[in-house]
Amino acid sequence: MGSSSSSIDNIPNAQEIMQETGFSAAHLLRLYERFQFLDRDQTGKLRPEDFGALRELAMNPIGDRIIGAFFSPGQETVDFPSFVRILAHFRPTDSNRTREGPQQEPANSRTRKLKFAFQLYDQDRDGKISRAELLQVLRAMLGLQVTEEQLQSIAERAIQEADLDKDDAISFDEFRKSLEKVNIEHKMSIRFLR
Amino acid sequence: MPSRTGSRSPAGLVKSLPERGLLLLMVLVLLEGTVLTLGAASSPDINHQENLGNDQEANKVTNHTKKAFPVLSLDYHHIQTPFEISLWVLLASLMKLGFHLIPRLSGIVPESCLLIVVGLLVGGLIKLAGENVPPVLDSRLFFLCLLPPIILDAGYFLPIRPFMENLGTILMFAVVGTLWNAFFIGGLLYAVCQIQPANPSDLHTLELLPCLLFGSIISAVDPVAVLAVFEEIHINELLHILVFGESLLNDAVTVVLYHLFEEYAGVGTVTVMDGFLGVISFLVVALGGVLVGAIYGILAAFTSRFTSHTRVIEPLFVFVYSYMAYLSAEMFHLSGIMALIACGAVMRPYVEANISHKSHTTIKYFLKMWSSVSETLIFIFLGVATVDGPHSWNWTFVTVTVILCLVARVIGVVGLTYIINKFRIVKLTTKDQFIVAYGGLRGAIAFSLGFLLDKDQFPMRKMFLTAIITVIFFTVFVQGMTIKPLVELLAVKKKQEAKRSINEEIHTQFLDHLLTGIEDICGHYGHHHWKDKLNRFNKKYVKKCLIAGERSKEPQLIAFYHKMEMKQAIELVESGGGVKLPSAVPSTVSMQNIQPKKIPPAKSVERALPQLPKGREEEIRKILRSNLQKTRQRLRSYNRHTLVVDPYEDGLGDLLLKKQKMIELEKKIKEMSNYLTVPAAPPDSPTMCRARLASDPQAYSVKPANDSVPTIQVDLASPQSPDSVNVMDEFRRANQEEEDQGLMMRPPHGQSGPNKSGEADGTRDQQKLMRCLSDPGPSADEEEDEPFLP
Repeated sequence: MGSSSSSIDNIPNAQEIMQETGFSAAHLLRLYERFQFLDRDQTGKLRPEDFGALRELAMNPIGDRIIGAFFSPGQETVDFPSFVRILAHFRPTDSNRTREGPQQEPANSRTRKLKFAFQLYDQDRDGKISRAELLQVLRAMLGLQVTEEQLQSIAERAIQEADLDKDDAISFDEFRKSLEKVNIEHKMSIRFLR
Repeated sequence: MPSRTGSRSPAGLVKSLPERGLLLLMVLVLLEGTVLTLGAASSPDINHQENLGNDQEANKVTNHTKKAFPVLSLDYHHIQTPFEISLWVLLASLMKLGFHLIPRLSGIVPESCLLIVVGLLVGGLIKLAGENVPPVLDSRLFFLCLLPPIILDAGYFLPIRPFMENLGTILMFAVVGTLWNAFFIGGLLYAVCQIQPANPSDLHTLELLPCLLFGSIISAVDPVAVLAVFEEIHINELLHILVFGESLLNDAVTVVLYHLFEEYAGVGTVTVMDGFLGVISFLVVALGGVLVGAIYGILAAFTSRFTSHTRVIEPLFVFVYSYMAYLSAEMFHLSGIMALIACGAVMRPYVEANISHKSHTTIKYFLKMWSSVSETLIFIFLGVATVDGPHSWNWTFVTVTVILCLVARVIGVVGLTYIINKFRIVKLTTKDQFIVAYGGLRGAIAFSLGFLLDKDQFPMRKMFLTAIITVIFFTVFVQGMTIKPLVELLAVKKKQEAKRSINEEIHTQFLDHLLTGIEDICGHYGHHHWKDKLNRFNKKYVKKCLIAGERSKEPQLIAFYHKMEMKQAIELVESGGGVKLPSAVPSTVSMQNIQPKKIPPAKSVERALPQLPKGREEEIRKILRSNLQKTRQRLRSYNRHTLVVDPYEDGLGDLLLKKQKMIELEKKIKEMSNYLTVPAAPPDSPTMCRARLASDPQAYSVKPANDSVPTIQVDLASPQSPDSVNVMDEFRRANQEEEDQGLMMRPPHGQSGPNKSGEADGTRDQQKLMRCLSDPGPSADEEEDEPFLP
């Protein structure tokens, strides 16, 4: 923390990133240090293996999905700005946004948070969570403790409940609707990243 | 229910008048009885003594006097105490009944106020009759008998997730807020008492320490009063848990302050050392209480693991262990309330996984019943004690106390919120702060603590008691009555219907994992990280010890899903088996009227099913909608006396779908010419009839599997979860089989569970099936149709 080599100036495009994501300088610095820690071979970019080195993440049932979310489709590495952009989704929501103008919504708005979660389900990016995708998630979360039939029943029921236009898949709007009672701003925020 | 009796038409009024009259008569008779028996209570002793004396004399004189054999004699003394207790409980219950027969009143005035008024009346009657009012709000009775059921009920059904999420806020309010209140009120009271140099009054003799003691007694928010008032206003979960959690957790602070000041009030001074010891004492009291509770909770969970053969006494373990936790904590002067809460919260997940459904229902019902009666009694006794209690009214003292209580509460809440909001993700708004401040009600705990004070050490005891009672009355009556309109006025967010869908459950777990992963990437050991660690620890070690058998491995999602399916199955049977349509529509849904037609498949399952004619469908829809709306409206008013609304609340679409399926299936069965081999089932109810299940488990012994006969496959979804019957599978399979033969139920062969096979398995599954069928669990209609005790 105190080393003079890692100051905010070392970070390329620091001001832009701060403006775009809303992180403060201190936080950005902290994230940069974390980025450098994860980046073992100091290439300035992260690869999936770097994430995989985290032990806890390996134990996470959806760990590989989370790692995958950092990498845009087709890319094999992620640089610091992209890293920060993803993490910006988890900033606590600012209740008083002074920014005006035709900008897109900030990354940590409720919709953007939900969209991020949705994309974790929807691996093939077709805009819908199909039954197969839901089953995959359930299988990952519940592991070997349940039978295939139970998984099928749960998936069946979940789709039945959420699917309003009866296309046997959950679209983003249906996803959002089924979570309207959950306090997403609270649930998908990490205080550390304020 | 209320809407019918409260009709404006004269016919309606007249109809309810005899009811009311009858009730009033009963009440009067009861009161008369109470007064007389209580009056008689004080006299039989004397008679008894005299008789004894006479007897002895008579015996001395002569042994030959022979009395006539008493055919009928009155010996009240023999049964006095239990009789009086029963009389009070009966009075409380009848009062509760009575209030709900008078619809408009219960809408305006909260129940607690009415009960206090009744207590005042009863006390007044007794006094008029010239008897001594029994010291009903005896502190021992209160703390050992009346308070524990309420706290246990609250602790057992405490919503853990919102509680834990807001724990920091709650602790701040409970600890810092109460301390602030105590010192502010005590200090300022002392200051006020010291002024008025012109006419020296009794007040000048009041020293600082008794004032601080008084402050600590009066500063604590009371859980009983909060529960009683808040349950009727249905505010959102966050506010409810904040105020309620605060009222529970401030017990530790109150205990420590009370003992500290009481101890040193005689001495007159408190040194810094004492203050320091006080802080340590607080930590010991709070953490010790929680520890004691947790230990008993784990013991209870462990015991429940072995109760599979003695299901009948399962609820007893829950109650006794909890009560012993409370008593043990009180023995060491630790916080009994926190012990009770910890015990209930710790044991609940494990106990519920182990006990049968019937025991679960029993525990629910008993807890609600006891806590309800307790609460009623407490308020009535408060009224009686007011009439009786030694009073010493002092205008200055009392009014200053009331004002200071309000002011201290407001300042405390505002100040603390300002600090707390810096650390919260979802901040507390001004409206929230107002409700939290306004909800700081005082109640019977304050009174009992005041009652405990020693007369000699505290000559101002009477004045204290008067002031305490005034504050209680003020908060309960004024604040209690006005909080409901204020909530409406301020448009505070109300409690949402507790429709917990499987989607929410899945996504919430998913998000938990996601957040844990992100925290790991950030390298931050936050909230989710520790929660995840705790869950892992729980799954790996604790569940194995405390949960019996295979259910220890069942993930939470599956347990939740099974619960939902079970409820759905029961509800389906209830609604489908004997289609109970309101009398407005004559039994039009008789099978003869239904024309078979093709249905556009809403789901893949119904491809082959005939369709109801459009008109019939609309009719059914209308009927169901109106029925469901009624259920919805009744359910909307969740309060503590309703049994906890279960995770599954049927949606209109779901019910319609199932209704259609049911009707189609019934129709199919009708068409079948063969004899149904399902024993004891009425011919139009092919699915399990719950009543028969409950009474006749043997009926479902396995018939020899005849492959040519189509079977309703009762799919034990996995050997790990004997309690689920997948009704959806039942229908699916029944639809796919041939239509011209009878129906039979058998457990499926070929379990797809992991590494289980063999004959022993079959019989075990069968037994599990019996257990499941013979123990159908909490019935949907009991819980969801009418509030248990509104």
